[in-house]
Amino acid sequence: MKTTITFVIVCFAFFATALGQEKYTTKTGNITFEASVPSFEEVKAENTNVSAVLETDSGNFAALALTKAFRFKVALMEEHFNENYIESSKYPKASFKGTIQNFDASKLLGKQEYIIKGTFNLHGVDKKFEVPATIAANGDDLTLTAQFVLQPEDFQIKIPSIVSNKIAEDVNVSVVFNLQKQ
Amino acid sequence: MGKQRKFIYLLLILALVGYFGYNYLYQDHRNIQAETSQLEITAPYLLERFKTDDAEGLLNKTIIVTGVITDLEANAITLDESVYASFDGDFTGVKLDEKVKIKGRCIGYDELFEIVKLDQSSLIK
Repeated sequence: MKTTITFVIVCFAFFATALGQEKYTTKTGNITFEASVPSFEEVKAENTNVSAVLETDSGNFAALALTKAFRFKVALMEEHFNENYIESSKYPKASFKGTIQNFDASKLLGKQEYIIKGTFNLHGVDKKFEVPATIAANGDDLTLTAQFVLQPEDFQIKIPSIVSNKIAEDVNVSVVFNLQKQ
Repeated sequence: MGKQRKFIYLLLILALVGYFGYNYLYQDHRNIQAETSQLEITAPYLLERFKTDDAEGLLNKTIIVTGVITDLEANAITLDESVYASFDGDFTGVKLDEKVKIKGRCIGYDELFEIVKLDQSSLIK
């Protein structure tokens, strides 16, 4: 009798953890940012190798971008971005960890708006942030998209005055994650 | 006569400055496929080096990684579940469980998936 109860408990525990581990992930998420100023060279980069994990049970969401993977149209701009601004050798990662507010996996139908409360880590600086995001369900996949604005000075990224009129103070960031059920 | 010559020299200098200036500002991107690799390493050992923080010098370097394909995606190959190599274009002629050599640029360690990432990869036959 005792063994049966133990067995049932173990089974239940197993089942519960298995449920708790329902995840949607991607390794090819897309982040684009743009800080262009009209009539100057376009300041825009894209990273198509961003990893992201969404746990449906808790609504926890994490994303990680390797800063070396941001690609610019102009090679010299890419070099300056890596060496002078984001300092990608010193800070090779940019990440976001947060929780989707009022997230209910059972109500995932069509397109819905959410707020993700979390922390950005960029250039070695942590900053709390609330990101408005859209999550669309299509079969076994979820597409999470978000647009937001970041200011380089919040992350102690200094833009020298000599180029400051060619780089916008507000950096528009756009993310698209096609998350697959695991 | 002297004035004309000066003018021609000035024009020549301006043209040179313009030419080299333009080439500097709009220099070509790195061509990883054409670069010689700095290191040849197996996929699990590369992961191990990142996990033990012994890989700082590898960032942004062109390296060759050997391993067995454990996952195939449209534009990416995973080697020994330790290295994720993404390709700019398509690749053909490989299948799961095949042993391959991949050249790419090492862009860092992804702690979410515990995997090392390469980009601009190409297959070496």
